[in-house]
Amino acid sequence: MLTPEMVKTYIEESLTCEHVEVTGDGQHFEAVIVSELFRGKTMLKQHQVVYDALGDKVGGEIHALSMKTVTPDQWKAS
Amino acid sequence: MDVKNILEKQIKENCIVLYMKGTPEAPMCGFSASAVQMLEACDVEDVATVNVLENQDIREGIKEFSNWPTIPQLYVNGEFVGGADIMREMYQSGELKRLLNGD
Repeated sequence: MLTPEMVKTYIEESLTCEHVEVTGDGQHFEAVIVSELFRGKTMLKQHQVVYDALGDKVGGEIHALSMKTVTPDQWKAS
Repeated sequence: MDVKNILEKQIKENCIVLYMKGTPEAPMCGFSASAVQMLEACDVEDVATVNVLENQDIREGIKEFSNWPTIPQLYVNGEFVGGADIMREMYQSGELKRLLNGD
């Protein structure tokens, strides 16, 4: 079964990011992703960056991925 | 008519289109159910919903069309707004209601 740790590794391997947290039950996962790549992008574009990086895994192996995408500045301020 | 043309027509002819799994009365996925609830909570009545489980071509086609791999997907005034996460953020901030009511 897919674990949150595996999803975390997928994200870290496919995307340049500073921090990733993943929780989930094997099918539905929730991720907090901190990346400089999100700077200046709308939330829609930020999520697309992650989806593009993960490719076919989302909707396939990963049934659903909820995400919160933040820039390093926003992360430090929170 | 190919899938892309069908999607373009649906999105053009309806101000608000929700692509979902199941129907508003019987949603087949928690994320689709919450999308419907958020639209209802915004007091919008004129929502066109498309059940992607009824048509595999639409189900795959919309993912490619939006460059978005999951369902539900919300379109407003011909533009892709986002999936369940984005709808929730926009709902909580009040932005979704403003967008849907044309403010």
